[in-house]
Amino acid sequence: MSRSRKDPRTERATHRVEGSIRPRFDLAAAPAATGRPRRDRRAEERLALVPGTVRRRLDRTQRVAAVGALPAPTTPAVETPPRLRTIPEPACLVAVVPDAPGGRLTPHDRQLFGAARLLADANGGAVLALVESWSDELAIAGADRVLPIPASGYDPEAKALALLSVLDGLAVRHVLFPESADGGDLARRLAALSGEALFAGAESLSAKAVTRAAQGRRIEQRRAPPRLISLATDAVAPHAGTLHEALPVEFAFPEPTAGAILSAEYIPADPAKVSLAEADFVTSAGNGVTDFEVFRALVAALGATPGASRMVCDAGLMPRAAQVGASGTVLEARCYFALGIAGAPQHLQGVARCEHVVAVNTDLHAAMIERAGLAIVADAQEVMPALLRLIAEEKRG
Amino acid sequence: MRIAVLLSAGRHRVSAHPAPVPVELQAIRLAAELGGEAFGLHAGPAIGPLHDTLGHGLPRLTHLRLAENDDPAPSLADALREGAFDLVLAGRSGQGGEDAGLLPYALARTLGLPIVADAVALAEGPQPGTLRVEQALPRGARRRLVIRLPALVTVHPAAPAPLPFAFAAARRGDVETRPGIAAACAPSEMEERPYRPRPKLIAKAAGGASAAERLKAATESASGGGKLLVEPTPDNAARAILAHLREIGVLA
Ligand SMILES: Cc1cc2nc3c(=O)[nH]c(=O)nc-3n(C[C@H](O)[C@H](O)[C@H](O)COP(=O)(O)OP(=O)(O)OC[C@H]3O[C@@H](n4cnc5c(N)ncnc54)[C@H](O)[C@@H]3O)c2cc1C
Ligand SMILES: Nc1ncnc2c1ncn2[C@@H]1O[C@H](COP(=O)(O)O)[C@@H](O)[C@H]1O
Repeated sequence: MSRSRKDPRTERATHRVEGSIRPRFDLAAAPAATGRPRRDRRAEERLALVPGTVRRRLDRTQRVAAVGALPAPTTPAVETPPRLRTIPEPACLVAVVPDAPGGRLTPHDRQLFGAARLLADANGGAVLALVESWSDELAIAGADRVLPIPASGYDPEAKALALLSVLDGLAVRHVLFPESADGGDLARRLAALSGEALFAGAESLSAKAVTRAAQGRRIEQRRAPPRLISLATDAVAPHAGTLHEALPVEFAFPEPTAGAILSAEYIPADPAKVSLAEADFVTSAGNGVTDFEVFRALVAALGATPGASRMVCDAGLMPRAAQVGASGTVLEARCYFALGIAGAPQHLQGVARCEHVVAVNTDLHAAMIERAGLAIVADAQEVMPALLRLIAEEKRG
Repeated sequence: MRIAVLLSAGRHRVSAHPAPVPVELQAIRLAAELGGEAFGLHAGPAIGPLHDTLGHGLPRLTHLRLAENDDPAPSLADALREGAFDLVLAGRSGQGGEDAGLLPYALARTLGLPIVADAVALAEGPQPGTLRVEQALPRGARRRLVIRLPALVTVHPAAPAPLPFAFAAARRGDVETRPGIAAACAPSEMEERPYRPRPKLIAKAAGGASAAERLKAATESASGGGKLLVEPTPDNAARAILAHLREIGVLA
């Protein structure tokens, strides 16, 4: 696909005849190749051509290059298992206190492990995960040691006291918390208990310096990483590349005492009422959906929050508050279910942070189909009633 | 019930002019709706724009006068101990100062009070001397707690909007000024410079990647290559979707 590229100046210079004061060139001599490859745009275009469509279509990103080999682009079997890295005698420990709701690490928790690895590797230390229960995710996330902390129900004060005993009992150089609702609360409790300074909401982190915003984001504070740090989201990349041991650690915790919280009851969000920005599961309609009665029934049956593309909101079929995308709401949802949405860049920006995407579209080459973890090329008008029927059947049977 | 609302000297989010902090005005509303006597408490060199808080439903305000750059915690702790309050409300974090939200925790520690974060609604508890607190969690979820009083509670920005400003109430409200306890702040190791927004991390986009690759990284699914079903029957499609939603755990 690549030819070598011509450089007229050097080419002319190679023809120069030495030994005379006036420059003389012997242009009949054989030209020398420069070795810089030159792009062959025709061959590139031929590769990008999507076969099997009536209109000429180019896919320059080469993501569906193998459309002939449908269905299911299976993952190639070249995945080599990550190398195991052991740290038998760490110089110090960098502790991580992830939120891990329900025992599963969130993307924010993984970034926390990335930050901890950075600090641990710079000091020859090991990463210690302080979690409620051991899980095999921790080894991939980058934990060398795991210490289960005793916890029963919602009692952050008891948890902070347990963390304080770890801070005093083990050689912990840094403790990292996520700057989330529960993580931030715990970090501040531990800071007040231990009298150590907390660097709250770090927006960048390296082994030498951490920074945070202060005074209403007008100034940036910067210092060497202190002992307690809480980390904002998307500040540090998650750890990748090596597998770690996640060895359990023994530690004797003090007996917990009764706190001031008499009862705690978790109330899940009501999907019909929460705002799109807060929603966990969003089901969205685009221009490919015509029957909005069925769409609304489906949203209710799935227990999702309704959303829409701009085309639908412009047409007045859904309220403006339901618009997903650059000029609507940027979602934080875990799952996004797109029905009849093409996936314009302005729309995809709103979905960029969603972990899982499911798409139904009649067009195989829609950008939404490429983005989706489960993509279904079918008519949304037929899939929606089928889904409703199936959910009703499951409820009955 | 005697309720203290801690008010800090804030700055407006956009104009940077001195202004009350919105979440503390929301705390005043929660205190007003809970009933009982509400007292504002501020420690700092001047009361300035905090006079406006009287118009948002706070009947009285105590100002503990301090020198510039003094630590407010000892003065506030002393005033709170002396006032024998049942409930102390504070904002989740200030706006215009250090903005770390650490002061309420430090106060709770020195006063020996339990602290609960991120309240969006308060109500009388089932027994006397208890309080029901609704706590905001991410993604619109809530946690309903019953706590024993006295306690310190911080308020979350998702709480109801502040009461509208009433000029007459602002005129009527009293401000009591008395000297606070002089306490120099611990010297800070922080180096300060003008804020520079840092680019948010984009998953997998390596530096020097082409524009198409960066767009791909910004919009591509984090979970890697997906499943594709072409022209299934509607029933098969529905089954696949439900199975997938169950697998990722969004559907019961
Ligand atoms: C400055 C600017 C800002 C914008 N901001 C936003 C924004 O915030 N949010 C937003 O959404 N848009 C935004 N847009 C508009 C955006 O560019 C697109 O026009 C819009 O997202 C397209 O919506 P759509 O996918 O629903 O419609 P279309 O582009 O019309 O796509 C409809 C899709 O449905 C499929 N389809 C058709 N029939 C069926 C069927 N029976 N079953 C299944 N699938 C079917 C089609 O194949 C097609 O892929 C913005 C545009 C601009 C210029
Ligand atoms: N000088 C002060 N006087 C009274 N209350 C304060 C003062 N500083 C902070 N607070 C309270 O503590 C909360 C958190 O502040 P900060 O720790 O500065 O983010 C604020 O929302 C106020 O309720």
